[in-house]
Amino acid sequence: MKRFLVVLGCVFFALLGVLPVFAEVKNPDTYIYLSIGEPDTLDPHYAYDTASGEVINFVYENLIAYKGESVTEFVPRLATEVPTVENGLVRDGGKTYVFPIRKGVKFHNGNELTPEDVEYSFERGILFDPYAGPMWMLIEALFGYETLEDFVKDKVGIAWSDMVDEEGNLKSEEYRQKLIDFYTTYIDPAVEVEGDSVVFHLSRPFAPFLSILAQNASWSAILDKETCISLGLWDGQADGWWKYHNWKKEKSPLYEKAIGTGPFKLLEWDRTQQKVTLVRNDEYWGEKPKLAKVIIWGVDEWSTRRSMLEAGDADQVATPLQYLDQVKGLPGVVVKEGSRLTITALHFNWTVAKDSKYLGSGKLDGEGIPPDFFSDVHVRKAFSYAFDYDTFIAQVLKGYGHRVPSVIPRGLIGFNESLPMYPFDLEKAKEEFQKAWNGELWEKGFKLTLLYNTGNEARQTACEMLKENIESLNPKFRIEVQGVQWPTYLDAYRQGQLPAFIIGWLADYPDPHNFIFTYYHSNGVYGTTQGEAFRKFAEENLDALIEKAIEETDPAKRQAMYEEIQRIAYENALGMPLYQPEEVYVMRSWVKGWMFNPMRPGEVNYDGVWKEE
Amino acid sequence: MLEPHGDCGPHGAWFALMIFYILRRLLFLPLTLFGISLLIFLMIGFLGPYQRLATFINSPERLKGADVDKLVELYGLNDPLIIQYGRWLKNVLRGNLGWSYVGKEPVLSAILKRFPYTLELTLFAAIPIIFLGTSLGVLAALHHNRPLDHGLRIFAVVGWSFPDFVFGLFVLMIFYGTLGWFPPGNLSVWAEEIVKSPHFRNFTGMLTLDALLNGRFDVFLDALRHLAGPVLTLTYVEFAFLLRITRSSMLEVLRKEYVRTARAKGLDERVVIHKHAKRNALIPVATVSGQTVIGLLAGTVIVETIFNRTGLGSFIALASQQLDYASIMGGSLFFGLILVIGNLCVDLSYALIDPRVRLE
Repeated sequence: MKRFLVVLGCVFFALLGVLPVFAEVKNPDTYIYLSIGEPDTLDPHYAYDTASGEVINFVYENLIAYKGESVTEFVPRLATEVPTVENGLVRDGGKTYVFPIRKGVKFHNGNELTPEDVEYSFERGILFDPYAGPMWMLIEALFGYETLEDFVKDKVGIAWSDMVDEEGNLKSEEYRQKLIDFYTTYIDPAVEVEGDSVVFHLSRPFAPFLSILAQNASWSAILDKETCISLGLWDGQADGWWKYHNWKKEKSPLYEKAIGTGPFKLLEWDRTQQKVTLVRNDEYWGEKPKLAKVIIWGVDEWSTRRSMLEAGDADQVATPLQYLDQVKGLPGVVVKEGSRLTITALHFNWTVAKDSKYLGSGKLDGEGIPPDFFSDVHVRKAFSYAFDYDTFIAQVLKGYGHRVPSVIPRGLIGFNESLPMYPFDLEKAKEEFQKAWNGELWEKGFKLTLLYNTGNEARQTACEMLKENIESLNPKFRIEVQGVQWPTYLDAYRQGQLPAFIIGWLADYPDPHNFIFTYYHSNGVYGTTQGEAFRKFAEENLDALIEKAIEETDPAKRQAMYEEIQRIAYENALGMPLYQPEEVYVMRSWVKGWMFNPMRPGEVNYDGVWKEE
Repeated sequence: MLEPHGDCGPHGAWFALMIFYILRRLLFLPLTLFGISLLIFLMIGFLGPYQRLATFINSPERLKGADVDKLVELYGLNDPLIIQYGRWLKNVLRGNLGWSYVGKEPVLSAILKRFPYTLELTLFAAIPIIFLGTSLGVLAALHHNRPLDHGLRIFAVVGWSFPDFVFGLFVLMIFYGTLGWFPPGNLSVWAEEIVKSPHFRNFTGMLTLDALLNGRFDVFLDALRHLAGPVLTLTYVEFAFLLRITRSSMLEVLRKEYVRTARAKGLDERVVIHKHAKRNALIPVATVSGQTVIGLLAGTVIVETIFNRTGLGSFIALASQQLDYASIMGGSLFFGLILVIGNLCVDLSYALIDPRVRLE
């Protein structure tokens, strides 16, 4: 009996062993990309992460697209022409854009693309405007507001929550006509069909408008009106549109369905396996992809991703920098580089919430810091001098990154390498600390806590380097570096309890406004979390300049305007722009036709690549 | 509770007693689950609304464009705890466990889709764990303090103290990286295409079983290849404990007087060991095996992650990290259910192994 089991065991293992192990190109017309995580939602008007964008980008199409690797030149996509002043499709000094719509394009379900689909897509998105979604971009570009609810409140004069309940029903019939009028007066005329074209009317010129519309931007993807209505999305009527505003993520039928015009069709999103499968759209109007199938698979463990790449079971894998050495030089594996438009910066909270646990005693007595510690420009300058930027980039980022003068990344208007930057200079840092708080700070010393969210090693190291340097200046200076789970960090951040925070931004569209507004405007996403004193400073010194720069359409003038804003940011040491990272893309050498565009969500141009040894 | 008892009644009465016992135990189930849910909800409730918002804003990048305060309001995170719990309970009583932001589908379907994978792995791992654990344990006891005993104990201690993430990575590197035998995941691309095709019927959700029921031996073999790595890892890490329990229990029994009597009577040594000693030694082993299986059913985070297998473990781990309370609550209820039923089965197994055990 025992001997029999042993023999059986041997046969079993031998059988598994002889199953073929291929050396040539595996799965030749299927591309397998191993990512970290999976999409958040496939509703283009809700999706706001690169994993979702990566899928939406190849299933849906936009009116225009970036040309190759450029982020400033466009080619037509579902529109037949890119509007310019020269061809007469940009009018009224940049307030009107006309897009002639391509004919003969079919959605994946066979429906034909019409200009009405385009109008519907934008209006549905704007009316939907979910709280954590990307639609603010189009609302800002078209109307100059941040959210639909702000827009409604301003025009109707009543807060949204006073008119509509959580289920989307009117709280009183008297609001019905008001909301219908709001739609017919403002939303409907903003995007209109004229013959075979669609016309956008902007409330003011908005320089980056075309890049907000370009392919890669899920919020500007073109949907099929008929399909959407039959699925239960907004019915296209003025009466009752409020019922379709701000649904929870899971309520949208487009959450897991995707019917676009793109080169690939969505076959399946298997959420148990974190796996998205796309198949070639054989009816595609443009050049058909060479791949028959694409598998985007969330494999969260690095060792597993690496093993599958080595075995050739994966064609490309997401590779965080710290693992790069493990794949460099592997046979059959190549590493490519690209610089996304993203920035990581440390910013200060000029007015920390009084109940913060991270201020020590809360007073300038050597045992803590006062809440307005960072409102003193000398403190901010001292911090800026006390960080060894170059060593950080060389050691922690292994050279994959570079310094930037402000939060505008290399490659955008306004970037200028020769703008002043704070060097790493402990002598100067000392001088600034001695000037801070009328010299009181240097005498008494201080104590504060810097937080980072655990798992983010680069940010942890940055905090620790800053601590080392500053503590070396004066034995009375103490900085505690503390790692906390993301929920705790989020909580402290939102409550304004963090004295300083390191935070990154990835471009939504390739324009300096997207960065400058975010960090330096009093209403920017990060501007609002730098405290009351910063808000006042920004309102007095920056807001007007930022708003003027966005309306200017002459690139040379804009360059000068953004340089002026950056000069103010430098002189006042508004934040410490730490680095713009280079990213690495690790793939099998049989991948051909791979191309990089800084604005593409995800790592692969599935419509262009193929596999060949 | 269970009590060893000298006589056993007529067969029918014993059976009725058993049914009564099972029903009585199951009656407590809803109460237990209610207690679990309340406890966990209170624990989550101690976190502030912004902390719990991590479910919806799960990384710094997601702060973009997020209307944080409105989100808190939309999901009712600022409401009094009792109202939040009431809202959850009301939905659960209607059969709706809520939406899982981690699983990206309703909680119930997320759990039910993952469970067959966990169950399959458990079944495949439990067989070698229990078989190796008990048989090697008995072997070690019989060779008490001789080289075989020492060897087995060292082997077991090494396995016992091996962290599963280290051993799992070893297995992955050797059997996949070097030999190419046991790939990670559930299935190969070609096999998955077959399983997802309309001709393939999913009866149980367990890939090996479904493949056999569909008559696809190639898919069965492929599923087996993908199972081998995790099974190997789990077996080595888990069987050691069982070996040690079996060994010590067996040693104890071998010292008992009735064994000595049996031997003195001149009974065949094999009869002494297998009939008299082993059966008695197995009672504590049944408890430990039961707990091992229940533990495996709750999912194995590390093994699932390393071998990129679908399962309940990584699901619940992620849910806890992101404070996805609907998933955490749903998962806890499900584990509570498994625990209660699993323990019941263990208790019943005593009665089967040892007829002297009476259920009361």
